[in-house]
Amino acid sequence: MKKKLIAMTLALLMVLSLAACGGSSGSADNNTGTSDTAASEGSKGTISVAIWDENQRPGLESIAAEWTEQSGYDVEFTVPGWDGYWTMLEAGVSGGEMPDVFWMHSNNAEKYMASGVLLNLDDYIAADDTMNLSNYFEGVTNLYTHEDAHYAIPKDHDTIAVVYNKAIFDKYGVAYPTNDWTWEDFAAIAQEISDKGAADGVYGTYCNTGSNQDTWYNIIYSYGGEVINADKTASGYDEPATLEAMNFIAQKILPACPSPDSMASTGGDTMFLSGLLGMVCQGSWTVSNYANADNASDYAWVMLPYADVNGNGTCDEGERCSIYNGLGWSIYADTKEPDAAYSLISYLGSQKAQMEQSELGVTMAGYIGCSEPFADAFGEMDVSAFVDIEEQGTLVFRPYSKTTAIWESDASQALVEAWSAPEKMTEVAQNIAAAMNETLAKENK
Amino acid sequence: MKRKKMSAKARREAVYGLIFIMPTIIGLLILNYYPIFETVYQSFCETGDFGKGNTFVGLANYITLFHDSEVFSTLFNSVKYAVLSLPLTVCLSLVLAVLLNRKMRLRGLYRTIYFLPMVCAPAAIAMVWKWMFNQDYGLLNHILNTKISWVTDPANAMIAIVVVGVWSSIGNNMILLLGGLQDIPKDYYEAASVDGSTGVHSFFHITIPLLSPMIFFIVQTGIMGALQLFDLPFMIMDKSSRAWPSVKTITYLFYEYAFERSDRGYGAAIIMLLICIISIITFILQKTEKKWVHYD
Repeated sequence: MKKKLIAMTLALLMVLSLAACGGSSGSADNNTGTSDTAASEGSKGTISVAIWDENQRPGLESIAAEWTEQSGYDVEFTVPGWDGYWTMLEAGVSGGEMPDVFWMHSNNAEKYMASGVLLNLDDYIAADDTMNLSNYFEGVTNLYTHEDAHYAIPKDHDTIAVVYNKAIFDKYGVAYPTNDWTWEDFAAIAQEISDKGAADGVYGTYCNTGSNQDTWYNIIYSYGGEVINADKTASGYDEPATLEAMNFIAQKILPACPSPDSMASTGGDTMFLSGLLGMVCQGSWTVSNYANADNASDYAWVMLPYADVNGNGTCDEGERCSIYNGLGWSIYADTKEPDAAYSLISYLGSQKAQMEQSELGVTMAGYIGCSEPFADAFGEMDVSAFVDIEEQGTLVFRPYSKTTAIWESDASQALVEAWSAPEKMTEVAQNIAAAMNETLAKENK
Repeated sequence: MKRKKMSAKARREAVYGLIFIMPTIIGLLILNYYPIFETVYQSFCETGDFGKGNTFVGLANYITLFHDSEVFSTLFNSVKYAVLSLPLTVCLSLVLAVLLNRKMRLRGLYRTIYFLPMVCAPAAIAMVWKWMFNQDYGLLNHILNTKISWVTDPANAMIAIVVVGVWSSIGNNMILLLGGLQDIPKDYYEAASVDGSTGVHSFFHITIPLLSPMIFFIVQTGIMGALQLFDLPFMIMDKSSRAWPSVKTITYLFYEYAFERSDRGYGAAIIMLLICIISIITFILQKTEKKWVHYD
């Protein structure tokens, strides 16, 4: 009896401890709850909406509630988390059970548009006086255009900035970065912190092979290089400017980072939040992680550096580039309520709603000129660096083609070699270009 | 067995029996058999998105398959895992089962401890090990006061995965072997000791032969499980690690093509290759069974 009791207690303890471990990672994205916004009496029907980001739900619900008041339709949100989201849509398309309105993302847009899953919005947009697609970021609009037809209303856009830990800069006596800095300065500051912090295991910055959108894509475009050419037929990895940028990363940035082995085992955000990194490039979608962190008061944001390509000491046109991307609101092609669904996404895309989205700190706007309030949406934490780069830098849309998923992961895989042996960077980049050109040739066949 | 005509009662019982297992049969048909045939079919297709627009391409996927060096390197990794982990699992769980089959203090406690990994979700286990293995902040390096790259050095990574795999499967196998051990009549040991047999001698000449059906079962299911390894490397390793190519398994390659690159046809062909290999191994095992497995 006694033995059984001990055994049971032990088993219970183990299960509980594991449940606790699982809980912390799961709580963020496993929330599959649904809720109604302002369930009004005598409603005309319900529009179901699917998104994957729990952080954005409260803000979007309150915006949708305003639409409910004027339209009489209820809105019901489902938030299955990133992985669950795509599984749900994939299964939904085959089974015919789909949300009426849902987010589209650059990774999957082409596939969904080409398969006829999304409602063609052209007629609705033409009939809607309030909708003018030229008000939105061009890259986002283009992303959701397939054979000249539009399949989504831009929802937001994101940019990149550098977050730094003031406590670490103070400790090692390094001056805080300012907006007037080059990538060379960035590398020098990072190296200084790595040198002085070596005994404490503190490093200047972090750049892994997969840190493309938030780190090295920005460097490539700032140096005048490109990842893919304008008409998406050839890789840019073998262009001289791209090679220069990649070699700069290999020779100046990587030495200031933790070892490739360390980066392969611990993420940059985790290391930064644990006080082990001086600064790291991050996208605007991650801001709430830092604003809600324990040491949030130590963190500050600064604009991405520029590359002084022409050597005149100032930031000129095209020398400071931030990659941007954006989600779109799209509608299921076979929805029972196409008019109401369009009315909802038209409202969500309206100037008023886009302004509110920024004010609430949900995301920056897809509507040009509505992102200012985002800078002040996080109380003490000033995140204007994300908004300012729109004026003081160049926004480059995240490079993509139909087969992004393939060549992007191929490139990350190939770069592992160059991360361990930086002197091989040119050779590796040329191999990436060759493989990518092959993928693109198949795509355009 | 003599075939008799069923009485009315027996027939009624048979019908009820069928009704009771119907949910399982239907589940098997829909969830196992249908997908199997669908996979075979897809392996001959260039698949379209959302299961629509599959075009039949004959053996094209298989021709690519046999020219793809990554298929063979990942297959080699899966085999390597099986070869390293299986003997360890079988030996350790056998030794543990024999030790825990004796009368001893806290026997239940020990049995529970060794069985515990089985009640934990594999993903949770992998996450905990991932942090223990962490080079800079992990428990292992902290305790040992070392800086070993457990999972990021190609030379160690597979060993690390094997350790976790063996650790988590010992418990289940130990319970199976314990069950087998308890079926061995005590008389054999007594008779042997009268004839002067020592403990070790008895172990090799009584325990192992009489346990061989259970060991055979464990080896057979163990090979299948090891060749289908997916979750441990996937959860423990990061793809940006230079050690990744040395632990990437063929089931991961299948996952990569089927779900990340949306090339289900090629993914299906990869998995067909694995099925063939497992079938051949199972066939050989079944054929050689009589040579070393004793049923009586």
